[in-house]
Amino acid sequence: MLTRDFVGGVASIAIGAVYLFFAYQLRSSALDDSMGPGGLPRLYGWLLVGLGAVLTIQALLASRLATADVSSEEKGEWDGQGRKVAFAAGLLAIGLGYIFVIETLGYLLSVAVLLLVTALYLGAGNKGRVVAVAVFGAIFLWVMFVIVLGVRMPSGLLASLGL
Amino acid sequence: METLTHTAAFLLEWNVILAALIGVTWGIMGGSLPGISPSITMALLLPFTYTLDPTSAIVLLASTYIGAEYGGSVPAILIRTPGTNAAAATVIDGYEMNRQGKAGLALGISLYSGVIGSLFGLAMLMTLSGPLAQVALAFTPMAYFALGILGLSVIATLSGENLVKGLIAAMLGLIIATIGSDPVTGGTRFTFGSAELLGGIEPVMIMVGLFAMSELLVQASRRGKDDRVTSRPRIQFPDWPLAKRLIPAQLIGNGIGTFEGVMPGAGGTIASFMSYNEARRWSRHPEEFGKGSPEGIAAPETANNTVAETALVPLLSFGIPGSNSTAILLGGFLIHGIVPGPMLFQKSGEVVYGLYAGLFTAAIGQLVIGMAMLPVCIWLVNRPRPYLNAFIFALILSGIYSIHNEAFDLGIMIAAGVAGFFMRMLRFPFLPTVLGLVLGYLVESNFRRSLVLSGDDLMIFVDDRISLALLVLAFLFIGGSIAKRGYELLRHRPSSTFSENAES
Repeated sequence: MLTRDFVGGVASIAIGAVYLFFAYQLRSSALDDSMGPGGLPRLYGWLLVGLGAVLTIQALLASRLATADVSSEEKGEWDGQGRKVAFAAGLLAIGLGYIFVIETLGYLLSVAVLLLVTALYLGAGNKGRVVAVAVFGAIFLWVMFVIVLGVRMPSGLLASLGL
Repeated sequence: METLTHTAAFLLEWNVILAALIGVTWGIMGGSLPGISPSITMALLLPFTYTLDPTSAIVLLASTYIGAEYGGSVPAILIRTPGTNAAAATVIDGYEMNRQGKAGLALGISLYSGVIGSLFGLAMLMTLSGPLAQVALAFTPMAYFALGILGLSVIATLSGENLVKGLIAAMLGLIIATIGSDPVTGGTRFTFGSAELLGGIEPVMIMVGLFAMSELLVQASRRGKDDRVTSRPRIQFPDWPLAKRLIPAQLIGNGIGTFEGVMPGAGGTIASFMSYNEARRWSRHPEEFGKGSPEGIAAPETANNTVAETALVPLLSFGIPGSNSTAILLGGFLIHGIVPGPMLFQKSGEVVYGLYAGLFTAAIGQLVIGMAMLPVCIWLVNRPRPYLNAFIFALILSGIYSIHNEAFDLGIMIAAGVAGFFMRMLRFPFLPTVLGLVLGYLVESNFRRSLVLSGDDLMIFVDDRISLALLVLAFLFIGGSIAKRGYELLRHRPSSTFSENAES
């Protein structure tokens, strides 16, 4: 029942509905062309809702017409997916943490912490090597971006050292 | 002749030479890492191109594509794991040759065939792009709208097993393209009071998120042991009798690679497998295929390197990216305010000629760099994944931040990565989203301008001959693809999966 297509179809309807809600809030003025700024967004929104409905119906029909073998395959298609999402969410949290600390800690420190935490999270075993990769990797990236490419990265805590 | 003269002038430009050689080197390294496709390798470089001049930026990205196509064959031959999808056909005979102790020769054939494919593809690109762009000089807003529709019609062939999913993915791209300023009135849409969204969402954020970030999220969700390269081969080029034997297979690769490259949506993977099949069909030694045939490496490697150049024909002439890699290249053009398509050769001719010169340098440079980089590729393949992925993660975040020095951009890229992760999980293709995103503005602005010109008469799209021709072409493209699906369904054959194009 809860196949990937079914979930995809329902998600499309939901995204389309939210988008349509905001598309209908767009104001038009007397200077607009006949279609106005909301014309095509509304069309896209309705198309997304319609296509989502088609995908949902396709999924429902497919699961009704499915043979016993296919049915059991579909039952197993979500096995282990929760764990995968949880692992991915961990990496996502590391990325979000980086966004919050980059301005405060500065680029060099925050990228070193990012390398260290990410490598450990992804299963790097050798602690000494992880620290070395984090330190030298951060220095390499800092040289590449700040010195070679001339990008102004945040200095943060190390501002007093001119980094 | 004029094209050759203009191109030759760029062959001595140090920035073009340097960008081409760095691009090939980066491409070979990225392509040799299983899971890192050419498009991801290019996407990782995209933020760096902001600081470069337009010609160097485009040459860097296009050369990366060429290098990645060869790089993909290294793990295919050494550990039976294709670095890129297009190298999947190389696994069959490449790994067999490795087992027979001929890994060096297999790598040599792959490299040398790749160079032949690249040079032939470049000749085709130079021959076909200019004349096609000449036709496009007479374009009106109606024709531009029809061109956008033709570009979007590629979705019909890129949607894999389910056309509805491809269309939904395209709608998502079109929806993202509506964020920012309205193309006709200049009013704001879907910005929710955010100043950062006033200029819209730059395609680079979405591309890096969809391709690179989502791949990292997928790899984070997989924990396992990777294969390691235990041998230390040295590249060995074929002798004259063997080189002579490979010529028919390489010609097949050139022919199929040209056709598949010019057709938007076909891609290097299909070209590789078709070339492999045809090379076996026409070979004097068909019994050797699957058991370590040198032709079984030469044909697909020539084909996928030919595609790396000929896939630029629809991009340069019409602004239509037919694969993920060319979509990333389009992103590179857009970053520098250059719009590929009809006016490219008039307004930014120097970028096109610089690109040709860069591709020539990359193809020749690939021969030397390919040999020099083999130990580095083996070292990279053997690196533990956690370190490699941590470094790629830091590179992506640093690169995106460096564009505008805004943490907001990182949020957009990560959000695109999360969307890409769930799209992969639910088996939605990426490329239609990218197409919708990059073609959304073109379609909307020209559609509305045409209606203003005609006083809301839709017949203006039929009255304009170029618009009519392009719309008919789009209709035939969609109709043909649907008919093919119907035929495959009747014969109970599954359609080719989207990943063939999604990863190329």
